[in-house]
Amino acid sequence: MSSYENDPFYLRYYTGHSGKHGHEFLEFEYSHGRLRYANNSNYRNDSLIRKEMWVGPLVVKELKRIIESSDITKEDDAHWPKKDIVGKQELEIRIGNDHIAFETAKIGSLMAIQDSEDPEGLRVFYYLVQDLRCFIFSLISLHFKIKPI
Amino acid sequence: MSDDEMNIDDGGVVRRKGRGFQSGAGVNEAGVTSEQKYDRVESSHAAETRAARSVEGWIVLVTNVHEEASEEDVQDKFAEFGEIKNLHLNLDRRTGYVKGYALVEYETMGEAQAAIDGASGTTLLEQTLQCDYAFVRPPPTGPKKGRGGREGRGRSASPSRRRGGD
Repeated sequence: MSSYENDPFYLRYYTGHSGKHGHEFLEFEYSHGRLRYANNSNYRNDSLIRKEMWVGPLVVKELKRIIESSDITKEDDAHWPKKDIVGKQELEIRIGNDHIAFETAKIGSLMAIQDSEDPEGLRVFYYLVQDLRCFIFSLISLHFKIKPI
Repeated sequence: MSDDEMNIDDGGVVRRKGRGFQSGAGVNEAGVTSEQKYDRVESSHAAETRAARSVEGWIVLVTNVHEEASEEDVQDKFAEFGEIKNLHLNLDRRTGYVKGYALVEYETMGEAQAAIDGASGTTLLEQTLQCDYAFVRPPPTGPKKGRGGREGRGRSASPSRRRGGD
C-alpha cells in the first residue's frame, strides 16, 4: 500500500464559463496518486478531452513544494474579483492542516491584478496557477504526446 | 464515518478558508470529479517496479534543479544514461528562473532506470538532485483492503463537499 493512499493532500483547479459554445472549461485534479485532466472546448466542434494518469511520489512531493513555497494558504479570496459572465476560476487545495477553496473571476491581465483590491494575494494565486498548469501540462504532453490546450 | 474520513483528522484541526466552501464550487457534471471515462495509457508491462510507460517512452522527474541551470547543463548530465528524447526544463512564471524540476524522456526503461540510479544523490551546480519515474501504474482494481471505499463510491462530489466535518 503506497503512502499517498492515506495522504489527504488534494489539489483541484477549474477555469471555465458557459456561453454560446456551451460549457467550456479546463480542470485538473490530484487525489491519492491520481492526476486527472479535463478540457472541454466546443469551439469548432472540439470535443471533450479527459486524461488520467498515476504519478509517482516525487511528482507529489514537487507539487507540494510548489504549493508550499507560494504561501497560497496564507491568502484569502474575500476581496478578490467575484465570478462574472466571463467566467470563474476555482482553486481547492488540502495540504497539511490547511484546506482552501478559493473562487474568483478569470484574470485577463496583470493590469487587472494591479487594479484589484488585493493585488498581493491575487498575484500569488495567479502565479501559482501558472506554475501548476505548466508542470501538469508538461506531464500530460510527455505522457500522452498531445498538446493539452 | 469511513477510515478515509478519520485519517483526515489525525493531524489536528483543519483550517478552512475560501468562498468555494459556500458557493458549491467543484460541481462540474463533466469535470474531473465526475464519474466519467478517462483516457489512460494502458500498461501491459509486467516489470516488478511500479513504473509506468508513457506513449513514447519513460519519463524521469528530476527535482532540486538549480534555478540557474541551463538546458545544456541538464542535457550534459542526463545524456550519459541514454539518448534524451525530450526534455522539459520549466521556468518560474514570476521570476523567469528555472522552477526547480526537469522532466527527461528516454526511449527504454533501462536508460530511465540508469538515470534514476546514476543521478539521484549527485549534484548539479552544487544542488543534490533527486530522480524518480514520473508515472506509476494504477493501483490494482478489485476489492480494496483497509480502505474507506472512496474509490468504489465514485467521485460525485469534491472532498470538501463530502467531508462535512473537516
